Amino acid sequence: MSVHVTIDGRAVEVADGATLLDAARAAGRWVPTLCFDPRQAPFGACRVCLVGVEGSAVPLPACTTPCREGMEVRTEDPTARRVATAVVELVLSELPEPPAAHTELAGIARALEVGEPRWPGATHAVVHEDDHPYLAFRHELCISCGRCVRACDEVQGTFALTAVGRGFDANVAAGIEEGFRHSACVSCGACADTCPTEAIAEMSLLDLASS
Amino acid sequence: MSENLVELVRRHHGEQAPTALAVLKEAMDARGEITDADRRIAAERSGLPEATVHGVSTFYDDLLAPRGRRHVRVCTGTACFAATGDAHVEQLRAGLGLELGERAADGSCSLAETVCLGFCHSSPAVRDGEVIDAGPGVVERVLAGTTAAAAEPEPVSLLEAPVLTRPGDWSGLAIALERSSEQLLEAVEEANLRGRGGAGFPAGRKWAFARAAAGEQKFIVANGDEGDPGSYIDKLLMERSPALVLEGMALAGYAVGAAHGFALVRSEYPRSKPALEAAAAAARAEGWLGEDIRGSGFAFDVTIVEGAGSYVVGEETALIACIEGLRGTVSARPPFPAQRGLFNLPTVVNNVETLANVPFIAREGAAAYRALSPGATPGSKLVCFNERFARPGVYEVRFGTSVRELCERLGGGLRDGRAIKALQIGGPLGGILPASLLDTPFDFDALAAVGCMVGHGGILAFDDTTDMRAVARHLLHFGASESCGKCFPCRIGLQRAHALFAADDAIDRARLEALLETLELGSLCAHGGGMPAPIRSLLAHFPDELGLA
Repeated sequence: MSVHVTIDGRAVEVADGATLLDAARAAGRWVPTLCFDPRQAPFGACRVCLVGVEGSAVPLPACTTPCREGMEVRTEDPTARRVATAVVELVLSELPEPPAAHTELAGIARALEVGEPRWPGATHAVVHEDDHPYLAFRHELCISCGRCVRACDEVQGTFALTAVGRGFDANVAAGIEEGFRHSACVSCGACADTCPTEAIAEMSLLDLASS
Repeated sequence: MSENLVELVRRHHGEQAPTALAVLKEAMDARGEITDADRRIAAERSGLPEATVHGVSTFYDDLLAPRGRRHVRVCTGTACFAATGDAHVEQLRAGLGLELGERAADGSCSLAETVCLGFCHSSPAVRDGEVIDAGPGVVERVLAGTTAAAAEPEPVSLLEAPVLTRPGDWSGLAIALERSSEQLLEAVEEANLRGRGGAGFPAGRKWAFARAAAGEQKFIVANGDEGDPGSYIDKLLMERSPALVLEGMALAGYAVGAAHGFALVRSEYPRSKPALEAAAAAARAEGWLGEDIRGSGFAFDVTIVEGAGSYVVGEETALIACIEGLRGTVSARPPFPAQRGLFNLPTVVNNVETLANVPFIAREGAAAYRALSPGATPGSKLVCFNERFARPGVYEVRFGTSVRELCERLGGGLRDGRAIKALQIGGPLGGILPASLLDTPFDFDALAAVGCMVGHGGILAFDDTTDMRAVARHLLHFGASESCGKCFPCRIGLQRAHALFAADDAIDRARLEALLETLELGSLCAHGGGMPAPIRSLLAHFPDELGLA
């Protein structure tokens, strides 16, 4: 079974069950994402992958919306882009310092031309964990995209990480706030590999970046 | 929610293991705080990873505020705010010498915030240990140590034969079991029973999806997490007519092909779970629940679960996560619960009041049900009024009655000769109706046309002394502190929106409206998507009071 959709005027055929994001990528069109990792089940948290769909009064998240026969999708729908851009600005505003230029978040912000965030106010508290020989955790850079938690769950099957708190204070913890070293972590590095902000990073990379 | 974690929960549930949340609640009740040792025990007993259990322990209000030997919970819901402008909160803080969420150094007393105790008819309300006291003088009684249980309202039905304000008698199930399950489903579809929890989705369509879903094992979930501040309708149903709710669940089970139901009841209503459990025990004794109900071959039973303090758990995917004992965060749909719900299995989630309508439909049929509110949404509706009204309480009304008639004829207008400045109908995600629009009919479409909604049916008046900027600040404080933290627009956007109103500065209207759009169009669920509705109303009807630049 396959489904036919149009992405920015270009017809594509995708497998039944494919999402709008799958179709957009198959059509070679760029859709910004922050909480998406192709190795993980779609999560639908960041809301940056919004696209316009003919017949829908509101933009739809590309990563969690299944393709239906005949859908016409606009990846650069002005409303969808405006909201996505505003969301990225909000995300930048919760960090006490801008993300490093080479991170995925910084790249998305550049691509969407998000400048200095205009939301003064609370930022995440600076908390560093560096008890582990290879993995460093800078909690203030966590944007609660859940990619590390899902990597540990869906890719590694270790369940050493969890989302904690709620609302603006949400963050991620290893074990019972005991750090990677004393949690069930097996040091696979899947969390650092997927992190879009280097909130979790491998030490060697940090060393490289600072040198 | 993680499919792997839910599968773990399902397997351990099959072996009668308690959920992580249940074990953590026990620890909190026993010792007033949760330690890492408690988390490890909860992980061991529930069979879940330690990190997962830790995540649960940091999510729910009931697990966060440390409790002293005397634990005082002050209601900060919107009805209490409308009654005192939060003066009762300040008086308690000063009188007890404690901040919200603080426990005295000697462990004698603790103070915490709770939203909402469902005593909106006699605000302000305070829960002192297990006693809920409310009304004038409550702060003085708390400080004097003389709190006493507040009276509950007597419901009034305007119908000749009440549909919702009667105790259940299982007569609807008796008739349904004589017919096929298809006939029951058809009747509910034909009755066009719309969900009473807020979204108004047709219940019959939900049932049909779940019935058609593949799989032998399916579930019914009754949503008793009536979190909307200002609403105490589901509370009344669960505590006064629990058998009617259970009968509705059993009927849903019969129509869908489910043999078990779960009711999730909020912990802010300490009397609801015992009432439902007592009704379930009586029903089992009379053969209305259990195996082979009344010789029909249909089996159905229920489990009553208590929540732990989270507004967003009223959203159906978060509700399911809470029953599973996990963090009550929202999951993107699809998959819908009808395909993959509780324990990853097909599930129908219906609001308690929605279910309470079903016995009438089963007994009297769709036509009789539609005739209850001629020319309007089928069926009847429970509405409730806050303490500002002269005659606050719960009333069963027909859809289509004007809001003015409800407020004046039933509510008796406001007390002390005050005038209505505005109403918030249907909870915090509903718009605010200015007094100039009181002639709007109370119905789904008519209210939607003026930016409001039926929601749960709470009708909350702000009187003519109310500062509308303070209303915006109050609502956004609630919105930000109840955000589950999953989707970015709600998690960050509501914090920013609240900060705008909490500061003394003028608010840039264009920036505020852009932020509201981000919340409306970007949010994952109705919490972030709906919180802008009352702010939009205030911008439309009270712009001069908001301090806009």
